[in-house]
Amino acid sequence: MSPPCRVRATGGFALLAAWFALANGWEPLLTVLGASAVHELGHWAVLRALGAEVTGFRLSALGAVLETDSGRLSYGGELAAVLAGPGANLLAALALTALGKGCWPAAVGANLVLCVFNLLPIRPLDGGRALWLLASWDWGPAAGERAARWTGAVTAASLAGLIACVMRRTGGSLWLLPALCAAVYWGARPWMPGGCS
Amino acid sequence: MTSRQAGRRLMTAQARRRGVQAGQSVRSRRRRNEHLAAKDLRRLAQLVACGSIFVALVAAKLLLPARMAAFNEKLSAAMERNMDVQAVFSAVGRAFSGEEGVLEVYQAVFRPQDEAVQTGSASPEEGAAIQAPKLRDGAALETLRSYRREPDSPEASPAAGEEAPSVSTLAYVLYSQENLPEGVSMEQALLGFDYCAPVAGTLSSDFGYREHPTEGEERFHYGVDLAADTGTEVRCFADGSVTAVGDSSSYGRYCVVAHEGGYSTLYAHCSRITVSSGAAVRRGEKIAEVGETGMATGPHLHFELQRDGTYLNPVYYVSAL
Repeated sequence: MSPPCRVRATGGFALLAAWFALANGWEPLLTVLGASAVHELGHWAVLRALGAEVTGFRLSALGAVLETDSGRLSYGGELAAVLAGPGANLLAALALTALGKGCWPAAVGANLVLCVFNLLPIRPLDGGRALWLLASWDWGPAAGERAARWTGAVTAASLAGLIACVMRRTGGSLWLLPALCAAVYWGARPWMPGGCS
Repeated sequence: MTSRQAGRRLMTAQARRRGVQAGQSVRSRRRRNEHLAAKDLRRLAQLVACGSIFVALVAAKLLLPARMAAFNEKLSAAMERNMDVQAVFSAVGRAFSGEEGVLEVYQAVFRPQDEAVQTGSASPEEGAAIQAPKLRDGAALETLRSYRREPDSPEASPAAGEEAPSVSTLAYVLYSQENLPEGVSMEQALLGFDYCAPVAGTLSSDFGYREHPTEGEERFHYGVDLAADTGTEVRCFADGSVTAVGDSSSYGRYCVVAHEGGYSTLYAHCSRITVSSGAAVRRGEKIAEVGETGMATGPHLHFELQRDGTYLNPVYYVSAL
């Protein structure tokens, strides 16, 4: 018997989704949500295949998080589960391109953008976790933490700069502001006292 | 943080004294209390932060109403201007399948073709606003209009110009160019082609120096404002081709149409542009709908007329007076 999976959506998520829909329309919102669903399904499928229980699903302004008892997973197993999300997006993009023959470019694009974004080496994004796992696996947890921390901070700063630049150049796109704040927060969090992934 | 750490140290010392078992229970209770206190503190900090932002904004609105109005305007404009996310996704998708290049993705994000047009046509207004001399002859436009109504000259009608454009391309030179910003002419040119008023509305702001409705300072107004309801049809001034369709912070949604003889017209603050760049348009054809996008305080059409880059007064050619 698997424990009940608790699904929670925070007010921040509802607010951000509404803002995004108001700024960009329903179509892009559904495209993004569809790509996110593919992403989370990828994680979920691999977690289940490895025998880990998914205990909760949390949707917040900073993204979706699957809560799991990953303590039982090996480094390799957790790495596979972490990379399964972006992998699922990449597979979906390939499948949609092959099957749709150019009919759904927006869905393909959304999957690719989500795949690349999640592979950025900033924790808690998949790329950051993968980097931490890989480094910890190879060099030990202390070195892994250091590597993930520094790479995360540098990448997060670059990402924040890039988002700010895009907002400036497009003269608006204020819905990107939460992403900018999230990037700054993610980059700084491992350095804060008590902040650890 | 230091006191918390000190507390923890103290707690550990106590625990050592009392033995492991007792120490653990004390520690967990203490930690829970500490956790609760930290949570309450965070809530309090959030409340204070929200309250201060609210008070600061109310104070700013009461003390600096003009600044806040301008800021509000800017913020709303920024909120409304968004990159086309769906187009960006599509461009990425097409680049992935090899249909298009990466350049299309860049264009979908930044729309540089629009930007080039924006800076090209919006900068004279901004540039002139700084350089504009603080001289104003309020009566000048009245004089100009009274001239316009005098039917004493046969050349005043555009039909006369059409018949003999080579004889004279100027009907009046109304007042000296001295006080005008660069690139502005107060001449009434004879266009040499048929035209029509783009909107049947009331003239709400003239060509010339005026107090800027949102910035509050004196600036040169490079066109005329024709007030009409949102959604009112904007008709093309004359035959020509659409050279630019764009969205800018000051003009809102706008389009530019090039006509024969080096003339071009600009239609700004529209709610919708119904033609695309490069399209050939006829006189009277619907090209847009009136709106209040960009720096606008109400629904109107901002209409500009240029000849070879020189701003002309469009008031002569719009029937709404």
